[in-house]
Amino acid sequence: MNAPSAGAVYDRGYRPYEGARGGRGASRAALVRLSIRRALGLRRSWRQKVLPWSLLAIASIPAVVNVGVKYITRDTPAADFDLITFREYVGVSTTLLLFVAVTAPDMVCPDRRNRVLPLIFARPLTGNDYVLAKVGALTAILFGFGFLPQVVLFVGQMFVVRGGALDFLTENLEVLWQVPAAVALFSLYLATLALAISASTPRRVVGGVTVLATVLISATVATTIVRAGNDSFFEGGSLWGLLSVIDVPLRMSDLVFLGHVDPESLVGGAPGAGIGVVLVYAATVAGSLGYLVHRYRQVP
Amino acid sequence: MVDDLLLRTDGLSLRYPAGTLALDELTVEVPRGSVGLVGANGAGKTTLLRLALGQLLPTAGTIEVVGRPVAEDPVGVRAHIGFMPEHDCLPPDQTAADVVATLGELAGLPPRAARQRASEVLDLVGLDEARFRPIGGFSTGMRQRTKLAQAIVADPEVVLLDEPTAGLDPIGREEMLALVGRLAGFGISALVATHLLDDVQRVCDRVVMIDGGKLRHAGATQALLHRTGAVRVQVDEGADRLAEVLGAAGVAATVVDDATLDVRIDGDEGRVLDLVRDRADDLGLALYALTTRRTSLDELFVDQPT
Repeated sequence: MNAPSAGAVYDRGYRPYEGARGGRGASRAALVRLSIRRALGLRRSWRQKVLPWSLLAIASIPAVVNVGVKYITRDTPAADFDLITFREYVGVSTTLLLFVAVTAPDMVCPDRRNRVLPLIFARPLTGNDYVLAKVGALTAILFGFGFLPQVVLFVGQMFVVRGGALDFLTENLEVLWQVPAAVALFSLYLATLALAISASTPRRVVGGVTVLATVLISATVATTIVRAGNDSFFEGGSLWGLLSVIDVPLRMSDLVFLGHVDPESLVGGAPGAGIGVVLVYAATVAGSLGYLVHRYRQVP
Repeated sequence: MVDDLLLRTDGLSLRYPAGTLALDELTVEVPRGSVGLVGANGAGKTTLLRLALGQLLPTAGTIEVVGRPVAEDPVGVRAHIGFMPEHDCLPPDQTAADVVATLGELAGLPPRAARQRASEVLDLVGLDEARFRPIGGFSTGMRQRTKLAQAIVADPEVVLLDEPTAGLDPIGREEMLALVGRLAGFGISALVATHLLDDVQRVCDRVVMIDGGKLRHAGATQALLHRTGAVRVQVDEGADRLAEVLGAAGVAATVVDDATLDVRIDGDEGRVLDLVRDRADDLGLALYALTTRRTSLDELFVDQPT
């Protein structure tokens, strides 16, 4: 007689789900969460993690260096020297351009190329939900990557300046709203523009190259036109400088920090430059969002 | 309101912007269970599924899915529906577990529950060992089963399956039909859109036939087959003479060959069988076999007047 088997096979069958269910809001939040997770390479192979986290590290280098310089020069006449200011550091966030050129296409192109959209829109989600989730996710990531180095810069300087942390804080109170405001404006602009460009193609490579080309070519064209109208290099800018798509959010940062456009910029000194910057910024963000909504309009 | 109907349409029409009339005043009520939605390519099956999902809005008429008017809340109704598209729709660089869990989360499940459910339904469809492999390496049958798993991951009230056996080899087709046939036992109604009538005949207890956007037939599968059943009669010879006398008695018969004819059953089957026996005897024919033969859905579909 055979000994009874110690193991057993159970057919667990199908078990109905009786747990919690979220509504449409939960589906939207899930789409944002999943988009962020994918962009940061979470729950993906290490290769997908390299780019985002390397860029965050690179973006933080100027802050660390500046804090180091401040510490070394704290007892010298050069103590007030700033390697980089908070306003300029928003500009350094253009290092995120490479990140955007990779991440924005990765967020939207595969869904179209692999025809996953019909599955997504079979859930309680609309085309507008999809657009808002993708824009929200990329804006949040860019904000984090732009803001964290600023925190390093601020907190680091607080503790190394000669006057002490409290003095530094009271002397720089306005930075506490200027930095998040400027970084948020920069992030929203770059996210909507990059996603709109990426949504026009199902191919990630094409999307990424187009994002980079749009920024670089527009900057070159704007610089050429502005300089061509000047007798000398430092004569000043003109509204043609607004053709440079990457200059627009940087000039918005000028408005946040300085209250006026940087006079050394491509639009510096041009009449109505501040209003022009705001209008072009708003038109670009609205136009990009409008295109995205149109692109994913098929689902009511 | 939730009732026992899987689908109810009333004068449902949809004309695409290009002018194509995809559905033409479709009125039908379908109880819950396994329902076949059959029709040729371009009959309007996928359009009807998209209307049920609220992805399209009708140009006229109404549609309700599991008692919920789609027009009132086209987004909310999707929380109760699972959908398996016909085409390939899975990202090849992700694992089946990731894809199914992701789509579970998008259906409103909490993240941990979505992962747990993904594991369970992938196990159910026979992908327990393959679930952590990238979908790019899957066979067509495995992809179809992954598509079915994502459709049921959120435990919907109804699943809409668009050509679930498309592209499958015979073994894969058998496995898929077996899974679809089990859905009713899970408490999940299924609307199976297909042009393969044999699939419907095997796993669906009701059938809706559409053609050119119009309803051609709706009812219980067995009732349809019974009502249109026929008897295959085998005699030694003279099938044409037997068909002639049966025709004279008001019973339609089709001669297959010299020794075989199909006799259509309209009404009392016993009376027709007695008549065949008696007329064969009158003609001195040896009656070898009387086989009750159910007409296939294919024949029913072809026979229906347009």
